[in-house]
Amino acid sequence: MVKNHNVFMKLDADPEPAGQGHPCTPARRDFPVSAGSPSLLSPPPSSPTSLPEVQVREVSAALRKPRLRSRRESQAPRPPQARALTVSEAAAAGDVVGGRGGCALSSFLPSALSDLRRGGPTPRSPWPGGSAVARRPRPGPRLTSAGTMLQRMARLIARVHQLNHGRFLHAGTQAPQSIAARLDDQAPGESPRALSRTRECDPANHGEQHEGQHYSISLQDMKTVFPHGLPPRYVMQVKTFGEACLMVRKPALELLQYLKTTNFTHPAVRYVLYGEKGTGKTLSLCHAVHFCAKQDWLVLHIPDAHRWVKNCRNLLQSTYNKQRLDQPLEASTWLKNFKTSNERFLSQIKVEEKYVWNKRESTEQGSPLGEVVEQGITRVKNATDAVGIVLKELRRQSALGAFHLLVAVDGVNALWGRTTLKREDKSPIAPEELALVHHLRKMVKNDWHGGAIVLTLSQTGSLFKPRSAYLPHELLGKVSAACAYCHSV
Amino acid sequence: MGSPLRKTKQAHIVESALTQLPAVPRLTPVRWSRYSAEYQDPQTDKEYFRKPAAELTEEERYVQELRKTQLIKAAPATKTGSVFEDPMVSKFTNMMMKGGNKVLAQQLMEQTLEAVKRKQFEKYHAASAEEQATIERNPYTIFHQALKNCEPVIGLVPILKGGHFYQVPVPLTDRRRRFLAMKWMITECRENKHRRTLMPEKLSQELLLAFHNQGPVIKKKQNMHKMAEANRALAHYRWW
Repeated sequence: MVKNHNVFMKLDADPEPAGQGHPCTPARRDFPVSAGSPSLLSPPPSSPTSLPEVQVREVSAALRKPRLRSRRESQAPRPPQARALTVSEAAAAGDVVGGRGGCALSSFLPSALSDLRRGGPTPRSPWPGGSAVARRPRPGPRLTSAGTMLQRMARLIARVHQLNHGRFLHAGTQAPQSIAARLDDQAPGESPRALSRTRECDPANHGEQHEGQHYSISLQDMKTVFPHGLPPRYVMQVKTFGEACLMVRKPALELLQYLKTTNFTHPAVRYVLYGEKGTGKTLSLCHAVHFCAKQDWLVLHIPDAHRWVKNCRNLLQSTYNKQRLDQPLEASTWLKNFKTSNERFLSQIKVEEKYVWNKRESTEQGSPLGEVVEQGITRVKNATDAVGIVLKELRRQSALGAFHLLVAVDGVNALWGRTTLKREDKSPIAPEELALVHHLRKMVKNDWHGGAIVLTLSQTGSLFKPRSAYLPHELLGKVSAACAYCHSV
Repeated sequence: MGSPLRKTKQAHIVESALTQLPAVPRLTPVRWSRYSAEYQDPQTDKEYFRKPAAELTEEERYVQELRKTQLIKAAPATKTGSVFEDPMVSKFTNMMMKGGNKVLAQQLMEQTLEAVKRKQFEKYHAASAEEQATIERNPYTIFHQALKNCEPVIGLVPILKGGHFYQVPVPLTDRRRRFLAMKWMITECRENKHRRTLMPEKLSQELLLAFHNQGPVIKKKQNMHKMAEANRALAHYRWW
């Protein structure tokens, strides 16, 4: 009996103003897993025998912890205690050009902080043109060690400089600009708005220094890796601006670290991203998917599980199992997108059984998986069964080691919630009675190895859940208790 | 006191002429409000109050002192003092509103402006460097310019003479012109669109066409001008 182990990763809700990079503030720790070290180098929970009790308990501790400060408090102006410390630190670090630069830094800070409070939409031009970044950056990297403090201070100053458009800078302050120029790899001719971008486009190389910055996904990658994964408004933004920029978030970095050190002989670890609305769960999932696609994993991305339990027309009774219901449209669209993203694997993987579709058609043993997918796309009636076969084969064959499998499901709480679908006699349908949901539940169970499972809990699009619900036990209900999750919360 | 009905302009003129006489019952006005005559309109312009006391003239100081004792009407809910408030956009939203559903009208307006901006951005990114300088991306500029292009210069009014109604060319006030431009735009977008096209989509399309002096609304304005030109001989039927 394989012990269940799951990693719950919370995405932070509070947007911190940029002035919170403060040496006097203790580092806020909302992330339960790596409580000891601020860096992401703690070993991931990969061994089943030593169940990560410590981490599970820390999960519950984090969830029990009340919000450290309310939104209004966090936005209150900070007292300028940094002054003396900054000067000494700056002098000590020796990174500031001369004593004049140090004085400029200290005199700069309080007015900068107060100006940030005022920095809002530019008056009289509510929609200034020319913003090339697809998402607004969430400010506020947290300070964890003195060594990176000056780096972050300089970044803050550089950002304030960008916000002020040079109004508060007097002619003598060359230092902040020089620090910013040295620390960010920018060409001298680039606009200050490019401050929150990074050139590092490979998610494998993303580290702490890229936190809060945007990296761009090439449009070619967008077509192959994300035929269906991204939120619809994001896709609209990509179409308008002609570029896809994703912000590097701390939970995503943590997740990538775990994925990099996955032990493929152990059962798949389930990573659950949860958090309030708008904190970046879906896009962190997409970041992980992009990483795995670049590392040549086989990615099974279900963009929104809620779509499979509501607003479905044309439910058919399944031919394979009379108790269940098929969803031909949803299954065929998913198969089409699956084919686009994993073209190269479909010819390599061979099915291990013979599948008979009807009197005339069947797929022989040893034929490539692509044939099953084609069958599902062309014969829409068999699409759900094709999906079931694809999932079964991949689950079986991921253990052999020919490929690594990533199962990414957005809105996994849909699989264990309620549906709004009804039969012809108006009786409600439980999610278990839908064949797609049944197959996906088996996929999300960690009794296979050779990959990882990344899940997102989402209240948006969920059915019969209040808007304020975001915690795992609120959205998943009894299922989260069945996973090794402390009830003492 | 008297009835709480506010006097119209005509009633004002009549009553000032009759101030010598004892209280005469007021004429029934066409539009009425719950405020009586002594209520003053509110001053919603923030800049008026930001002037330092030293810069005020004698008259302005007197007026400000006087207002402290006068009764002031409540400011309408639409006057927010926000930097994003635009009277033309508000007026257009109100004209689009059906059945008092202001929320829907505002959402449609917002989606229209967003659609305009997105289309312009896509055009901008697809254009070469010289063309990029000519592409206007601010949706508010496009909105204002489009409606300005749709305003007719001269209008037609049916005048009854000798048992027949003649379409007489007549100068239009600014308000009437703005109203006609907005009315034509909304009517065009409501009537001449496919059943499945949404209003923001159609409206953004029409606004962009009107911005470039093309499209059905501009054509309607030009038709109006042509008819006015054709009926030039009837101009002397106008007596105001």
